[in-house]
Amino acid sequence: MTEEALWLDGNGLAGLLVEVFGAEMTTVPHDCQSCGERNAVGAHRAYAGAGTVLRCPVCGDVALRIATLPDRHVVEVRGAWRLEVARD
Amino acid sequence: MSPISRGFRGRRTEVDPSRVPPGQYVVNDFPVLSAGPTPHTPLDEWSFTIHGAVDEPTSWSWEEFLALPTETFTVDIHCVTKWSKLDTSWTGVSVDTLFEGVETEADFVTAWSDGDYTTNIPLEDLTGGRAWVVHTFGGEPLEPEHGGPARLLVPHLYFWKSAKWVRGLTLTIEDEPGFWEAAGYHNYGDPWKEQRYWSD
Amino acid sequence: MERAAVLERLSIARAPIRWRTVTVRDVVDETPQARTLVLDVPDWPGHVAGQHVDVRLTAEDGYQAQRSYSIASAPEDQRLALTIERLDDGEVSPYLAGEVRPGDEFEIRGPVGGHFTWRVQDGGPLLLVAGGSGLVPLMAMLRHRAAQGSDVEARLLLSARSLGDVFYRDELSALDGVRVSYTLTRERPADWNGYDRRVDAEILADVGPAASADPLIFVCGPTAFVEQAAESLVSLGHEPGAIRTERFGPTGR
Repeated sequence: MTEEALWLDGNGLAGLLVEVFGAEMTTVPHDCQSCGERNAVGAHRAYAGAGTVLRCPVCGDVALRIATLPDRHVVEVRGAWRLEVARD
Repeated sequence: MSPISRGFRGRRTEVDPSRVPPGQYVVNDFPVLSAGPTPHTPLDEWSFTIHGAVDEPTSWSWEEFLALPTETFTVDIHCVTKWSKLDTSWTGVSVDTLFEGVETEADFVTAWSDGDYTTNIPLEDLTGGRAWVVHTFGGEPLEPEHGGPARLLVPHLYFWKSAKWVRGLTLTIEDEPGFWEAAGYHNYGDPWKEQRYWSD
Repeated sequence: MERAAVLERLSIARAPIRWRTVTVRDVVDETPQARTLVLDVPDWPGHVAGQHVDVRLTAEDGYQAQRSYSIASAPEDQRLALTIERLDDGEVSPYLAGEVRPGDEFEIRGPVGGHFTWRVQDGGPLLLVAGGSGLVPLMAMLRHRAAQGSDVEARLLLSARSLGDVFYRDELSALDGVRVSYTLTRERPADWNGYDRRVDAEILADVGPAASADPLIFVCGPTAFVEQAAESLVSLGHEPGAIRTERFGPTGR
């Protein structure tokens, strides 16, 4: 079944997310806006289409969409994200 | 400035610029990209619908769809992620055939698929022999990972417009950006003008 | 209770995770298909076992390619090491696991990937399930465990095509207090009495520990392997939340 290769664990997006958010994001808990389930970003499912889509591992709804343009990332964020960012 | 990695060449081949749009490279395999999981709608539940700003919606079951006149043709396809695949062979129903008898004032179409994928295309880009709903690739039934049982095929635009697992076309009065168009990708997507993103 | 704490405990460090130029210091053949690159990395901030780096190569005409590779070295090691397996149709791996020589330069970004990590203080028992080159981040965890002199109960189940495809073979048999089990799927030595098929629930039940021991489980390898192993583990009663997975697939574009 080749369709299993369609997605990787969100952990694999760690580098892209560092570039977008300026911080390590894979441990961030995300509450899905559809099903309400909470899962770490690293446990979500990362799909590679034209851009990158991160989906809730329980219901499949979109958590994050990233288009990488030459001069910027265009990012759409859904659901509730709780970030704790260390202060220097 | 990135350092040069001695001896690294990458995988690129000579390209014919009359066949290959700017910034693209040719592949021999058929990469699978997807914004979401592969749907598996049973054929006895599948339908294709033209609706929205039309006088009367029309719909075909899978059997009815297969009974429509088809064409087999060869085209090049170009993905916004920079790969191009030349001389791909498809069999399917021309969108012109699907639009026979459809009355509409609308200029825009949103193609929608199983799952949450949509893409928007001007009606004139789907007609005049420029688009099909295809069910066969390379003489074989279209595989689910490539959009089977049927996908939209609009080869003159970037391949994200060729919606996999397509289930219908919604005619719209206003242009309504689809899944990727709303998220940073070009609204029209002409590979020959390298219209990949909003910034192009 | 503890699982929730593991999920929520890490605040995000605002460490500068930027592209750095690294120099290859040493190249070590692990198998005919795989090599370890030992790197000199200026100002390396340190890492946690299980993390990976993004590697970026630049050709003379400016063309760039990027892929992710797991860190093989323990956080306690002096130098950063990556183990790379050459994929026949790969664009980057044939270069890194073939052409690269000491003195060569490329860029890395990291360390990244806090979700698939283990520290000794996370405790155990630890169950590590590796498919082929999926062993790399799990080896970093075992090396970290050894460097800390930890006696956390640890088991490794490794699936490989043959013994000749196993990375770090000698080191694995010398690891203190780690129970290592192999399943060889394509070729076995004549006197082999280990497993000889794809990882399934029966093998995992054998290797243990039982779900009632509340193990921390890490599964890494190709997508199909991880899928099968994770499903088998859940069927044995393990909590899905206790299973961290890292699927290897085509990365970078």
